Amino acid sequence: MESRPFVLKHMLPISRVERYWKGLEEGKIYGTRCQSCGASFYPPQADCSFCYSGDMDWVEIDGEGVVECFTRIQRPPQGFEFASGGYVIVVAAFGSFKVMGWFKGEGLPEVGMKVKAETGKDELGVWKVYLTPL
Amino acid sequence: MKVGVIGVGCSKFGVRRDVTLQEVAFEAVKEAMTDAGVSRDDVELSVVGTAGTRSYELMPAVPVNEYCGFAGKGPLRVEAACATGSAAVYVAYSSIKAGLVDVAIAIGCEKMTEVDTATSLAVGGRGGSYLWEFHQYGTTFPGHYAMHASAHMSRYGTTEKQMALVAVKNHRNAARNPKAHFQKEVTLEEALASSYVAYPLRLFDCSPISDGAAAAILASEKKIKELGVDNPIWISGVGYSSDTANLSRREDYGGLRATVNASRMAYKMAGIDSPLKQLDIATVHDCFTIAEIMAYEDLGFCRKGEGGMFIKEGESDFGGSIPVNTFGGLKAKGHPLGATGVAMVYEVVKQLRGEAGSLQVDLKNYKGLTHNIGGTGHFGWVFVFEV
Ligand SMILES: [Zn+2]
Repeated sequence: MESRPFVLKHMLPISRVERYWKGLEEGKIYGTRCQSCGASFYPPQADCSFCYSGDMDWVEIDGEGVVECFTRIQRPPQGFEFASGGYVIVVAAFGSFKVMGWFKGEGLPEVGMKVKAETGKDELGVWKVYLTPL
Repeated sequence: MKVGVIGVGCSKFGVRRDVTLQEVAFEAVKEAMTDAGVSRDDVELSVVGTAGTRSYELMPAVPVNEYCGFAGKGPLRVEAACATGSAAVYVAYSSIKAGLVDVAIAIGCEKMTEVDTATSLAVGGRGGSYLWEFHQYGTTFPGHYAMHASAHMSRYGTTEKQMALVAVKNHRNAARNPKAHFQKEVTLEEALASSYVAYPLRLFDCSPISDGAAAAILASEKKIKELGVDNPIWISGVGYSSDTANLSRREDYGGLRATVNASRMAYKMAGIDSPLKQLDIATVHDCFTIAEIMAYEDLGFCRKGEGGMFIKEGESDFGGSIPVNTFGGLKAKGHPLGATGVAMVYEVVKQLRGEAGSLQVDLKNYKGLTHNIGGTGHFGWVFVFEV
């Protein structure tokens, strides 16, 4: 026997970090830095979790990143049927920020590989970071 | 006031299309109640641990609690992802420790196979921080651990073969555990020939999607004397920790800081300074084979980076320096999220009482450990038990 269908789709309240999402559309990746204690946040956040200040600077993340870890997802979850062939997720360090992104390169990356960050949107129109080998 | 475990129960793990969540919980509770020799009237508080979402019952604590006969005794519903069971045990433990009640039951239960695999992956992938991980990048739970595996392999030379050896050991143990999801052995060749789920993790590096339940009844020292329980297993160490939701905010991917911190807290409380010399048995959180290798290191069973050699040398097998996951681990016994932490208590209690049959370890110190992680170090729980 099957249950009644149940669809869960949420509205995402992004107004306090709208600069980030606008930035992706302009090809820029922003983190935030606390004006009071200097803590850096990526993903960006509007409040400082360390000193509770609400005064943040938006900081652009660019330059050369270094791959710290990666995986190739072979079995995509619900919602990623468009990427049924799989995709590679990377976390790369850019100075004091670490950035997650989809790898845009041949084959698999390696830990320690140098990458640059770009922005773009996937087949469903979701903006994200792509990391390309240098 | 000491707190002891006086009764444990565990259902058969596996694809349990034959039972509802409350029915599978009942199997574990009935066994635990019989094992403890207490009546429903003795139990003052019920704690229901279930991660939820994959089961049709979205607010499951009440139906589970009622079906198990505890309407009016709680329930408290707790959730800590894959460490939900340990969090349930902690609530029962701390309620007794605080003197609020003398007897409490922790019920861990999960139905995971009522949705399809793609949906299950989409629920697990939401562990962490949805907006910045799953929404943008389609992270999955195997993917989270695979990222750690890539860093561990690169930094320490850990191999796919060493990871597969964890699967071989745990399947060998599960083959002799009638409650295990997979009661069959796998060869190293079979494990290494399985396809990748999330590179570098293959199908045989992953725990299955399982249904199941476990229950533990805890009591105060005073009540244990009053009831005349002659085989209590005391909780002598408790440790907990956690880490950032976003993986991109972690310092390092070669281990889990939540394990290091939770274990040191539990060791301090239990007076453990040399775990290999003082513990007879450990259950560690092997949701993926790399997780067991990192656990050896982060729990202090070996030095950082030597986990691959620890499994290769047989140190975590029967006859090794500390038998780990003797009932088959999450890897082969199964990993019904809410049940897992309580099922670890079941295993250690059975071992320390000498009731583990053909899977019995040698007892010298009469001490054992449970290590239960939620998400990818998002929650960390360690308990030390002693006779
Ligand atoms: Zn600050």
